Amino acid sequence: MKGKKKDYILLKIATILIIFIFIFIAQRSFDAYIIRILNLCGIYVILGVSLNLINGFTGQFSLGHAGFMAIGAYVSALLYTSPEIKEVNYFITPLIWPLNIIQIPFIFSLIMAGLVSAGVGFLVGAPCLRLKGDYLAIVTFGFSEIIRVLFCNLQSITNGPLGLKGLPSYTNLWWTWGIAIFTVWFIKNLINSSYGRALKSIREDEIAAEAMGVKLFYHKVLSFIVGAFFAGIAGALLGSLVMTIDPNTFSFFMTFQIIIIVVVGGLGSITGTVIVGALFAILMEVLRSVESPMSLFGLNIPGIPGMRMLLFSILLMIVVLFFHQGLMGTKEWSWEWLYKKLMGNKKEIEEGS
Amino acid sequence: MSILKVDHITIRFGGLTAVSDFYLDLKEGELVGLIGPNGAGKTTVFNMLTGVYKPTSGKIYFNNQEINIKKVSEITALGMARTFQNVRLFTNLSVLDNVMVGCHLRLKSSVLNAVFYLPKYVQEESEITEEAMQLLKEVNLEKLEGNLAGGLPYGQQRKLEIARALATRPRLLLLDEPAAGMNPQETKDLMSFILKIQEKFKLTIILIEHDMKVIMGICKRILVLDYGKTIAEGNPIEIQHNPEVIKAYLGVEAHYA
Repeated sequence: MKGKKKDYILLKIATILIIFIFIFIAQRSFDAYIIRILNLCGIYVILGVSLNLINGFTGQFSLGHAGFMAIGAYVSALLYTSPEIKEVNYFITPLIWPLNIIQIPFIFSLIMAGLVSAGVGFLVGAPCLRLKGDYLAIVTFGFSEIIRVLFCNLQSITNGPLGLKGLPSYTNLWWTWGIAIFTVWFIKNLINSSYGRALKSIREDEIAAEAMGVKLFYHKVLSFIVGAFFAGIAGALLGSLVMTIDPNTFSFFMTFQIIIIVVVGGLGSITGTVIVGALFAILMEVLRSVESPMSLFGLNIPGIPGMRMLLFSILLMIVVLFFHQGLMGTKEWSWEWLYKKLMGNKKEIEEGS
Repeated sequence: MSILKVDHITIRFGGLTAVSDFYLDLKEGELVGLIGPNGAGKTTVFNMLTGVYKPTSGKIYFNNQEINIKKVSEITALGMARTFQNVRLFTNLSVLDNVMVGCHLRLKSSVLNAVFYLPKYVQEESEITEEAMQLLKEVNLEKLEGNLAGGLPYGQQRKLEIARALATRPRLLLLDEPAAGMNPQETKDLMSFILKIQEKFKLTIILIEHDMKVIMGICKRILVLDYGKTIAEGNPIEIQHNPEVIKAYLGVEAHYA
């Protein structure tokens, strides 16, 4: 109880300030390639944490995250892109009115992306969440495939498989890291609240939770909607980062990546998800070297695309075999822990001098 | 005043009639025992009362309200709480959190209130914490508030489950074999504990139990089920001398030619 009284305001302000300064410097002086990786770190953190809310904390195994990202990416792209670029893109089938003349600021398009995605999350979640376990996984997987196929065929809205190209690049570190921090803060507060306890009780034992008066349907849909909201925003950020989207960007492969992040980080640990989410983005780039042609012990190996994912699969298997709970399990990093570390070091320094 | 009226409920699973024609009129403040050999349908009765199973026929009135069609959580909100035969705690949550989940149904703040820690929610949260700690004191678990519920010894898990049920502020408490796996001393403590909480929280209690010392010691009225049928009803003395009950528990004396 003593720990709860302290809220380490100074430490929080200092941390935020450090991040603030880091983003400021990074955005100005790092080269574009590094900035892009850092942006991806932020986006993967948002995706991982939001999926962890559904899969790890509520215990509802969903495979539909790519679908929500697709919705977010398309909704925002259609809203922030200028009418001229849209006209260039839709040269086969023109874009329907009023989308063809609309242009709104990036921030509002992000909010719209989140809201539409959350709305779809409700529509999908309401019937699906009556299912459990494997069945829920299959149905949500089906949902994300339906979204993909639908977007391939709704030519007058999504431009079909041609996708949208030349999107303006609004995404920068302020957006991705800012929203990532907000997401972590929001979901951490949610799971530590009374609602969070209810969500975790559903994961632990649905029958007992319901007998204690927890409304199963309401709480499952709640976690689904919140997860979908942030997935939608992450999709929107990704769209503006890579500046081109097509339905196949959001295939099952995308969901699989986020599942890796969540499972390796630990179902039920935000800290683990954040660490692994950031590492994943970095490793995806670093490991590009294994896909290029190389010579090993005199053997010439041609570049094999997809080798990275093989390595990730091996990593996933190692984690599943040796760390059943993921790297962090359900443990969380806390301000208290950081405080003790810092204070402990200070004491050592004082003693040393 | 009648708090629970079970009007001849029957439930069939396929061809099997698990409980037939069960009748019970429960007055406020009563402590009723429900006994019977294994498989007699006692827990099935609990599951029907709490809404887990819907009776095939018959009606259940709780506080003069028909609850047949209501969901489990709605029935809990009306003031009926239960414990489970095989303890069903939220094993990876702390002892305190387990009890606080029981308080969740009374939370009025919205989700956004809770996430942004607005004063209204902070106030409610501290009230809930306070109430949960009080309940833990009631079952002598207040020192273990931070431990994981799954790590508690069996006897304490049972007590925690009762505390969690009390957190929903029930008027009717259904206890499913609370003394299972307890030693004689623990059982004795449990008996006085049940009487204590009944007095303190003004509860009406239905008790399923195999330990006859518990049943005969604290129940004024006992119902005996066998193969889904109520074969006897009465006070402990009547039940002990009822030939039907003796037959159900011990069988009939064989007649040799």
